[in-house]
Amino acid sequence: MPHPQSSWPFERPEQLTDALLEQGATPEECANLLPAVRRLSEWQAPHPTPADTRRLLAVLSTALPAFSPVRQAIREHRQHRISFLLATARAQVSLFGLGFWLVSALVTLLGAVVVLGRVIEDQDVVLRAGGPLLAYLGTIVAFRGRGARVLELELVCLPSPLQLALARLVIVLGYDVGLSLALSLLLWAGGTGQVLALMLAWFTPLLLVAGLALLLSLRLSVQAAASLAYGSWLVFLAISTISNLQARAGAPALIVLPGCLGLVLLAIALLRMHTNMHRLLPYPERVRTFLGADS
Amino acid sequence: MQERSDEQLMTAVQAGDQVAFAALVTRHHDPLLGYLYRLVGSDRPLAEDLVQETLLHVLQPHTYQSARPFKPWLYMIATNLVRDYFKSAAVRKLWREGDAEEMLLHLEDREPSPEERALAAEQGCEVREALAQLRGEYRVVLLLRFYQGFSLQEIAETLHIPLGTVKSRLSVGVHRLRSVLTPVPKGVD
Repeated sequence: MPHPQSSWPFERPEQLTDALLEQGATPEECANLLPAVRRLSEWQAPHPTPADTRRLLAVLSTALPAFSPVRQAIREHRQHRISFLLATARAQVSLFGLGFWLVSALVTLLGAVVVLGRVIEDQDVVLRAGGPLLAYLGTIVAFRGRGARVLELELVCLPSPLQLALARLVIVLGYDVGLSLALSLLLWAGGTGQVLALMLAWFTPLLLVAGLALLLSLRLSVQAAASLAYGSWLVFLAISTISNLQARAGAPALIVLPGCLGLVLLAIALLRMHTNMHRLLPYPERVRTFLGADS
Repeated sequence: MQERSDEQLMTAVQAGDQVAFAALVTRHHDPLLGYLYRLVGSDRPLAEDLVQETLLHVLQPHTYQSARPFKPWLYMIATNLVRDYFKSAAVRKLWREGDAEEMLLHLEDREPSPEERALAAEQGCEVREALAQLRGEYRVVLLLRFYQGFSLQEIAETLHIPLGTVKSRLSVGVHRLRSVLTPVPKGVD
């Protein structure tokens, strides 16, 4: 069967000469070699018809990596992570009721009043106990444990559950940081010395309790997790106050330790949330039951 | 709209983009078939199987790095598949080890008539036979250079050999080709 003329990449004769020169041939050699090289165009190769290409595509399409439209959308949005995270956070703000904003602000205000009014001698203890209360509130409002059974709903949303958790963390921690700044301004305006130390005493336990509560919420109900995290911190605070451990823990390096620990716990919680996602899915069990694999 | 590069299409293919895959296959089906057809010595069914096998390798996950030029990578897969095919025990048994190129030649003992020579020249049989007489390493560089229009750098990337080696193989290949190819008889244009 004669094949149609195959394409020959050298449209002009001088292109062939240039190619020979480029590969190291001298002009004399070029003249000698050109007739033989030109004859290469005599050997024609077959061209696939559009139908051949369609058949090939039909065969190959079964091997094409397949992603669900939801997964593809998530991959696309990952390219603009920061803006997408902020947009998700903006959308999630409506989840937080007015009570959360007001109670958190009230707790901060109370902390400022207690410190400025010197109601209690040990100002550090007040701040160390009050700061994590914001984390407790934030955890209860922002995160729902697996018992809430909303994972299926979250999975059909465009942001992944991990992205939602991050967005909510941005809201809660962002608001808490804002309140902390407001508190530091109040303390500074009130003429309190060591504003930075007091702020750290307020904010680092907050981070620790937030991280611990989020980690525990992967195993327990969110109320139990938040209560256990905050309760543990209060117990630790009481013991350290009674045993005079607090005086030794007042060193600058040790003040930031709870905050660092809190950030580590937050990172672990988010990673576990991501890796355990498939275990939290109800789908495999349902399919297994449907197929009668248990029987 | 500007046409997407091979590399952009391949990145999209890795994300499961069927349209990008169709564009990539449509773009490379013809030249790849031509390359493999000539590399295996005018066996179209075999060349078509190898095209399919090459593209299946392309679809394997985690094999393509996005920074890598696509075309040399594609032809590297194709060339390696042909090499593996001819190395396979079944083919060696069939063709007898060392006689593969001779099988490609389909040489006839008797002297062809002028008409047969004219027809053979028209179908490129002489060129095919001349190329088949070259060692594989020279044949591959000649095919990539003169039929696929690859640059020297692209050939080096495809075959994983230095640029100097590409030049020397091309030089030797072209000189041997010239010594093998008989000039076209007069009056056979």
